[in-house]
Amino acid sequence: MSEAKSPLEHQLARLIVDTLNLEISPEEIVPDAPLFRQGLGLDSIDALELSLALSRRYGFELKSDDQRNRQIFASLRNLAAHISANRIK
Amino acid sequence: MAGSGGFPIADRAMGEVLFRLPAQAGHGTSITASKFLAAAARLAAELPDASFLINLCQNRLHFSVSFAAAMLAGKVTLLTSDRSVSRLRQLAMQYPGACTISEDSQPLGLPHGCVRLSLLEDAAEGAALTFPILAADQLVATVFTSGSTGEPIGHEKTWGALVQRSRAAALRFGLEPEVPPSLVGTVPGQHMYGFETTVLLPLHAPASSWCGPAFYPADVQAALSAVPEPRILITTPLQLRALLQTMDEPPTIARVISATAPLPPDLAGLAEQRWGSAVWEIFGATEVGSIASRRTTHDPLWTLYPGVTLDANEERVLVTAEGARPCPLNDVIEPVPEGRFRLLGRPADMIKLGGRRASLAGLNRILSRIEGVLDGAFVAPEDYEQQPTARMLTFVVAPYRTADDILNELREHIDPVFLPRRVIKVPSLPRNEIGKLSQKALIALRAHAGEE
Repeated sequence: MSEAKSPLEHQLARLIVDTLNLEISPEEIVPDAPLFRQGLGLDSIDALELSLALSRRYGFELKSDDQRNRQIFASLRNLAAHISANRIK
Repeated sequence: MAGSGGFPIADRAMGEVLFRLPAQAGHGTSITASKFLAAAARLAAELPDASFLINLCQNRLHFSVSFAAAMLAGKVTLLTSDRSVSRLRQLAMQYPGACTISEDSQPLGLPHGCVRLSLLEDAAEGAALTFPILAADQLVATVFTSGSTGEPIGHEKTWGALVQRSRAAALRFGLEPEVPPSLVGTVPGQHMYGFETTVLLPLHAPASSWCGPAFYPADVQAALSAVPEPRILITTPLQLRALLQTMDEPPTIARVISATAPLPPDLAGLAEQRWGSAVWEIFGATEVGSIASRRTTHDPLWTLYPGVTLDANEERVLVTAEGARPCPLNDVIEPVPEGRFRLLGRPADMIKLGGRRASLAGLNRILSRIEGVLDGAFVAPEDYEQQPTARMLTFVVAPYRTADDILNELREHIDPVFLPRRVIKVPSLPRNEIGKLSQKALIALRAHAGEE
């Protein structure tokens, strides 16, 4: 698995750390590691906060009927891929 | 209608709409009382021979049909907000023969298997003309909270008590059969507040409850647009705050109801001003359910629901509600005349995050049981209730284990909202001579966490 981050992944890691007041630096987020439960250990309240920040920054909204949500939130890499495909900002 | 000794599963006409679903190819968008009863009766016949059913359904319709089916089959529904594997295993041991019901196939490896729900949306209208009557004293649900010691405590609910509370809520919120409101709830049915407002209320009051997704702001906006007026949004301070940031022009929301944590009056005022809604708060506890309400911007005092009385002595406050046993209240309140009271706070040991309760003593006990932890303490950040991103701080003295190991073990045992972002290792905890962490010590620990 690659540790190197794309520019969008970098930006997104920073957004996650700032939005959720995580006590780590963006560099410590491993692109392929899980964001929820294991890995960063985020929870449902974090998901809501993160959705607000994503909609402000990238102009698209998350929806929970999306069966892909689990996959989208699975890792920084997946989330970045979803953003590049759906962003309107 | 109900005789004196019992209440029907639902007190609605067969043609009335109880639940609503998003429009999708292949099924209708409204579930009438008739369809609901037919689906519940069919499921009741398929349920395994177990006395207890752990209802884990995420979809509100699946949840509600499963609950009704359990009642029809004489089973008790177990409701837990904590879905951690260790909690579910513990429940299965405590209630031998309990089985789970959910939309997933076999997610948990519990000893007694799991009922997988097939789609209910295309349920046919049933032939029954009336709802079966259940005895008022039939035990239908047990709802779990962490007790003062941290061990989960089950609160038993009889059908009579639940129905009486729904009727009181319907009176309080003026629900009228001429204009049945559409309820859009963002709270899960497993939580007492969500259970009462979005599952039980439509069974006993003229209202329909939304069963599509309603978690992210975009979901809620879509849900509101999909249901007829008048709309009632049932939510929490955290979600209301998120919705106010994103929903600029939602469809008209007649009323917003919030519970689970104190609603800041500014937030309530903003919702009233921006959406033109009346914003109400419900006060309740898992032990008794909803017992009072207030309009946040108009009144600092709470008004008890009809049929609810408080009995305060110096030690604690006892709540008595129709159909339920008197029970002590965990919150500190000051009764004032005419069925009103002022909410003063919560005992220091009680932590509330994301609508879930835990006791510090209980969290600390879990921590102390982890191998290699010589000493440890959970500490609540200051003002944590007003900050969605605030999480517990966890300090450990554990020279031979890594912080990540300890966090991974905690994850097995406690609800995710009470997990710290990370575990902080310290050489020792600043305990006083009787082994307690003083207020001063806590301040020092919080400061230490901030510096790391």
